[in-house]
Amino acid sequence: MNPDAESKPPCKSPKEQFVQIGLQDEPAYWKSVDELRNGPRFSGEFPGGLPGKSADHSTGTTRRDFLALMGFSLAAASVTGCRGPVQNAMPLLKAADDIIPGVSNYYATTCRGCASSCSLLVKQRDGRPIKIEGNAESVLFGKGTCATGQATVLSLYDDERLRAPQWKGQTTTWKEADRQILIALDQAREKSGKVVLLSQTVTSPSTQQVIAEFGRTYPKFQHVVYDAISYSALREANGISFDRAAIPHYAFDKARVIVGLDADFLGTWLSPVEFARQYASNRKPEGKPTLHVQFESTLSVTGSNADVRVPVAPSEIGLVAVALLRRIARKSGTTGVPDAPDPVDAKQLDAIADELWKHRGESLVVCGRNNVSVQVMVNALNALLGNVGKTIDLEHPSAQRSGDDAAMAALVEEMNRGEVHSLLLYGVNPVYDYGDGGRFLSGMEKVALSVSFSDRQDETSVHAHAICPDHHFLEAWGDAEPVSSHFSLAQPLIAPLFETRAAQESLLEWSGQAEPNYYNYLRQFWTEKLFPQQKELQDATTFWERSLQDGVVMLPAAMTGVAPAHRGDWKAAAEAILKTQTPRVEDRYELHFYENVGARDGSHANNPWLQELPDPISKVTWGNYAAISPQLAEKLGLSAGDVVKLTADQGSIEAPVFLQPGQETNTISLAMGYGRTQIGKVGRNVGVNVYPLTLTANGMRQYSAINVRLDKTGRREDVVSTQSHFSMEGRPIVLETTLEELSHPAPEDTAALPTLWADRLHGDHSWGLAIDMNACTGCSACVVACQAENNIPVVGKDQVQRNRIMHWMRIDSYYTGSLSNPGSVHQPMLCQHCQNAPCETVCPVLATTTSSDGLNQQVYNRCIGTRYCANNCPYKVRRFNWYNYTDNMDFDFNMTSPLGRMVLNPDVVVRSRGVMEKCSLCVQRIQLAKNIALQGKRDLVDGDIQTACQQACPTQAIVFGDLKDPHSRVSQLHDSRRHYHVLEELGVRPNVGYLKRVRNPLNAT
Amino acid sequence: MPSKFVVATFLDPDSLLAAVRTLRVHSFPIYDVYSPYPVHHLDSAMGLRRTRLPWVTFCAGLTGTTLALSFLFYTTILDWPMNVGGKPDNSTLAFVPISFELTVLIGGLSTVAALLFRARLFPGKKERLPVPSLTDDTFALVLRRRNDHFDPLLVARLLTSSGAREICEIEAQL
Amino acid sequence: MSVMTATSVSTAPQLLPPPRWVDEDVSLQQITDDISRPMEARPGKGWWICFAFALAGLIDLVVMVTWLFAKGIGVWGLNNSVGWAFAITNFVFWIGIGHAGTLISAILLLFRQQWRTSINRSAEAMTIMAVMCAGMFPLLHLGRPWDAYFIFPYFPNQRGPLWVNFRSPLVWDVFAISTYFTISLVFWFLGLVPDLATLRDRATGRIKKFIFGFLSMGWNGSFRTWARYEMVSLILAGLATPLVLSVHSIVSMDFATSLVPGWHATIFPPYFVAGAIYSGFGMVLTLLIITRQTMHLERYITMQHLDRMAKVTMLTGMIVSYAYATEFFSAWYGGNLYERYHFINRATGPYAWCFYLMVLCNVITPHFLWFKQARSSVAVLFIVSILVNIGMWFERFVIIVVGLHRAFLPSAWGMFYPTRYDIGLLVGSFGLFFTLFLLFIRVLPMIAMWEIKGVAANSAHIAKISKIARYYPAEENSEVAMNA
Repeated sequence: MNPDAESKPPCKSPKEQFVQIGLQDEPAYWKSVDELRNGPRFSGEFPGGLPGKSADHSTGTTRRDFLALMGFSLAAASVTGCRGPVQNAMPLLKAADDIIPGVSNYYATTCRGCASSCSLLVKQRDGRPIKIEGNAESVLFGKGTCATGQATVLSLYDDERLRAPQWKGQTTTWKEADRQILIALDQAREKSGKVVLLSQTVTSPSTQQVIAEFGRTYPKFQHVVYDAISYSALREANGISFDRAAIPHYAFDKARVIVGLDADFLGTWLSPVEFARQYASNRKPEGKPTLHVQFESTLSVTGSNADVRVPVAPSEIGLVAVALLRRIARKSGTTGVPDAPDPVDAKQLDAIADELWKHRGESLVVCGRNNVSVQVMVNALNALLGNVGKTIDLEHPSAQRSGDDAAMAALVEEMNRGEVHSLLLYGVNPVYDYGDGGRFLSGMEKVALSVSFSDRQDETSVHAHAICPDHHFLEAWGDAEPVSSHFSLAQPLIAPLFETRAAQESLLEWSGQAEPNYYNYLRQFWTEKLFPQQKELQDATTFWERSLQDGVVMLPAAMTGVAPAHRGDWKAAAEAILKTQTPRVEDRYELHFYENVGARDGSHANNPWLQELPDPISKVTWGNYAAISPQLAEKLGLSAGDVVKLTADQGSIEAPVFLQPGQETNTISLAMGYGRTQIGKVGRNVGVNVYPLTLTANGMRQYSAINVRLDKTGRREDVVSTQSHFSMEGRPIVLETTLEELSHPAPEDTAALPTLWADRLHGDHSWGLAIDMNACTGCSACVVACQAENNIPVVGKDQVQRNRIMHWMRIDSYYTGSLSNPGSVHQPMLCQHCQNAPCETVCPVLATTTSSDGLNQQVYNRCIGTRYCANNCPYKVRRFNWYNYTDNMDFDFNMTSPLGRMVLNPDVVVRSRGVMEKCSLCVQRIQLAKNIALQGKRDLVDGDIQTACQQACPTQAIVFGDLKDPHSRVSQLHDSRRHYHVLEELGVRPNVGYLKRVRNPLNAT
Repeated sequence: MPSKFVVATFLDPDSLLAAVRTLRVHSFPIYDVYSPYPVHHLDSAMGLRRTRLPWVTFCAGLTGTTLALSFLFYTTILDWPMNVGGKPDNSTLAFVPISFELTVLIGGLSTVAALLFRARLFPGKKERLPVPSLTDDTFALVLRRRNDHFDPLLVARLLTSSGAREICEIEAQL
Repeated sequence: MSVMTATSVSTAPQLLPPPRWVDEDVSLQQITDDISRPMEARPGKGWWICFAFALAGLIDLVVMVTWLFAKGIGVWGLNNSVGWAFAITNFVFWIGIGHAGTLISAILLLFRQQWRTSINRSAEAMTIMAVMCAGMFPLLHLGRPWDAYFIFPYFPNQRGPLWVNFRSPLVWDVFAISTYFTISLVFWFLGLVPDLATLRDRATGRIKKFIFGFLSMGWNGSFRTWARYEMVSLILAGLATPLVLSVHSIVSMDFATSLVPGWHATIFPPYFVAGAIYSGFGMVLTLLIITRQTMHLERYITMQHLDRMAKVTMLTGMIVSYAYATEFFSAWYGGNLYERYHFINRATGPYAWCFYLMVLCNVITPHFLWFKQARSSVAVLFIVSILVNIGMWFERFVIIVVGLHRAFLPSAWGMFYPTRYDIGLLVGSFGLFFTLFLLFIRVLPMIAMWEIKGVAANSAHIAKISKIARYYPAEENSEVAMNA
């Protein structure tokens, strides 16, 4: 099925076939959506999908499944993806009997939710991508994903996306847009005016080549890479220390001791999914868990998982590095580290230094400050500890962030001097997220031509001459090389919903190619550049198809094995750090800006799933806040919700206060990525934009500020949190243990609780879950995954404030210990599927009962909504539909528009007003797997079924399985010594068990 | 078909009682006595048998219990057993309240029904009053006038002596 | 007879003059006239004012229900932590109110308490109306009220052989409430029949005559009927007595059978029944004092009646107080973590003010009734009765909301804040109740005439013959013994 131009049968143009899918006037299409909204009829038709090999892939993340897919993956992909002349509908004519309505297919692609470029496996149902999963084939990321990645599928169906290109604010055709743009670009060529492509980090090698080709056609061309949240200093520091201005590839799984300096590597830093996976892999108490020390200003996801967490003001992170380096240097016999006061308890630092030294070569120090001097110190530390080449791999640098602050700053000046003729904006929005957005705008107004590839009218593109909307990544071809020699391919899951065009095609078009086709280009690129580098496959087509199917390719890269030499000129850096230290002033505080899991850099602000995702630590949704320590709040007489004015040299912002235990007492932290003004109905004016305070000083974006004045405004603004009480009140909810307890077997109190009745389970299975509290980092990917899988409505700020959030899976977070520096634990809480379920006894209409295989099932059609079950549920995991959340303009999120509803999962009923709902352990997946097994005339095997939360979890903290099968992983975990049930003494006998969190105190290792 | 009656009216229950007693001493069959409220001891004076309505209640109640229990057992054990909170199908204790309520309901309703049936009372029935204002403040004693050995004079004397206010003969259907 | 005589002679001298439940000697006709007056005369100003308020409340109810059905339960203040609040509180409150009526008409009948006669009719009417108000709320609080019939085991079952969950207290409620309502209604109507006949015979207008004639079922005061009639009244009373106890016990099981801290208590059934009677008597007092004043029935609703009711109120009030104490004690003594926290939270948490208001009204207030002056002052009794009602509403609110808002997992703790729709419905239910009651006292005899006549006649009779008794011990005396 090699599609070639010759054998091209006449057929409907792709436009007629696909383009109007998203539009509202397509009754035939909406019929199916209605059906899925009308309840189980649709999924009832094919309870487990129809027979046929394609059905096997619905659970599939295993390689075997993909090989089976091979036969038509390209065909199907190109059907859904084809725009150009080459892959006409011919494959569809062939594949019609392979693509079965109501049966999901999975295609490998690459995430563009952020520059980490995770490899994905996307569930496609009847031509619509509806669920994002991780690609288990990926050696970097595994099957896990992050919350943002999970939510990107909803962004595809965003009503705010442009339906067609725009010229000077007017909708136009591509032909016209190209004409206008080319006129301007020709001027640039004639006048040899400077053409600049300002892009975010581009991890796609083929795209880089496209850009290069485009650049070659213009006399003066510059490609400036700009990241709103910059890692510039890290790259520059590596240039200074190791002569390699690149971001290394970190190996947290090889480290026995991890010291994090304000780097939230489990939540947002660089490549969180990858790092979380590595991190969890050697945190297992079986075996020797790592020691993790975190120095940070606000309590982050990473900090909440650390064994030792030290609150430090942003300006003192450098001092910590110096202090540690001094101690390590002393041990290694190096000298010359200037003396400086220890910012924190010296003994603690000694102990940490000892640990680091003890684990030379298997420790890792990472730092998240965008400050060259500090990064140089950290490099020195790692060098002295011999980590370079072991836990830090500069041979395979990471391309996941390549923004260059200095270049950006220079560009802004050039633009303002009128030296830039044409400006192309690719995936960037500087007017919003550049520190001095105003100055960028003034410069942008001076250029002769400004073209944005943005998919919508955002703060920047509204001012551009032309908007040439790029595809959403689920509509586009592409590739990525996040880490050198690790390649990941991207294929479209659906034909472009609107008249959009791949940015690459636009660039090729403007570099004078006739009828450019990025698919051909990409395939050619892989065939010419990548195919020769591998030995495994001889045939280029096979290589391409295999890559397309697997999604990931790892090429043997030249490895010198020689760690880059560390040039020890870090003394200057140390001096610089000490020089910049200013003594604390009374009533002057430090500002600290951080990236949070929900909002990230703000580009997804119009995604209601992410807006409503509670922050893993504070549980706040719908907006950011000024996090201050309870002590400071007491001192200043502030309470949560008081709006304060924070004035720094750069300017001032006003934000409501939130009391964050563990916050450094002199520091006020705010999350970036909020306060969008131009993005859409969901994200508009949610929270406050703090980017204007992140100016660029001596070539680096500054994400913190000192000397900040705090004034009360007297106003109040609600900070809406999904959890109001963070103490366990001494109840047996989250149990912790230590390595000692585990190593010294204590007499087990395994006296099973007495039950009044005989076990009633008659079925073949007893589905259960085991959640490892030690592996769970609280990253919240599972929450969004559950929302996507189960059609959970978004209810909005007001309803969240009324304590009516609908999430089936929530992550409870509790603080332990002192208020100033508490321990923090995360506990995924979902329906516990009790065998003696209190909710069932009280339901008058038998709307909730225990199924024959141990599920606590909720029958929506039978439920009349007495809410008695919810009252009687000790875990409070049942959710009531207080209103009608679909087609209700009071809840104008994704479920009100035909486009937004395309994301709904046809296998799951959309609940009506007035019924109770809750976690079903993804019963639709269970049924599917059962049917597949039935069709395959085989028994279910452990691992056939994965719940959405389990699949999304990057650390594999959640395990689903059959408790009746003593060999299943879940059974073994339930037998583990760490296993317990929450509120066990109630005797409700849950099928969901938890594994105790293990603390690893500093002195213990 | 209408027949002849002798009606004596009284203004206080005592004289009514007296009259009833005297007449019964003289073994006059009393057709009926009418009063605005139930006069005490009239039943013994008239020599009425105790009503058997309690038996109706008892049987009906028993039926109620049986019906309720058998229905509950049928639905929850035989017809459609379900695993509700891990409890056994036969949760007899949980069936007690409903059985009790149905016992009371059926028992009570049947008793009232029996009363109405026995007393020939039904909505819209035309009342049959020997004399007016019986429901207000008048008491009346009614004898059926038979041809054989019925001495109107004797009756009249006995009634007046025991305090009847007035005595009249009517021809009506009571 | 002779034996009887012997005993009665020996007891005769000890006879106390029994209490008079009708002031001064009134002729039977007088009674009929007095009690029928409200139905025949034009209503007074007082009645109109009350009715205006009540009707406003009723309209409010209609508006609230319409909005609720249009929008959904979300218009209330409920949330993920607190699934029940005002609706169920009102439900339990109104059911409780109803209980006093049945108690007066049934239990006091069994105990041969003659003082019940002048109040039992209106008390029973109150029961029926209260149960109507109560029954409304379980329906309203459903997420999908249009599917409310799911809760009945109906046959043929359109949805396959699927029945209801007979283990759920809510289903018990359905049976208990409907039985309670039916029996109360029948009992009440049966009691009305003789009076309807009286009205029929007084009626002048043809329509009135027809309606009363139709309803009085041809009643003609035949003694054979009277005899059976009294027997049936006794039987119904005998059935209603355990029924009324069972109803509130079952209502209490809605909470007692759950595992929510503060609900999960075996003391609930007796505790709720006592509370119900307490609140019920509070309401009866309120109503009777209002009608007594507006309808000028002081002759039949005497201070002695109010005095007796005050005493019952005080007694039940103290039982309730005892239950409160027991709850706290067992929480402390049982040592259950969650129970203990619940009661600490009840007394010190965000809803503590409700708790203390409840204590003030239900524990402190009744003790004023120790004093004769208090019991014989209409004003004081009225205030007390109002406080009792407030206190009992808050008791239910405290149990329900404080129990739910901080249950097992602190992560799921929350608060309940009523919205205008919560409050509107509460007010509306009072509107419905008072509208019905005010109409009742206009169109039906609010005092059982035939019973009053019996009592009045008897007491007059006793007064008379207790003089005679000295001369003729034998015959009449036996009656005295039996009458007393």
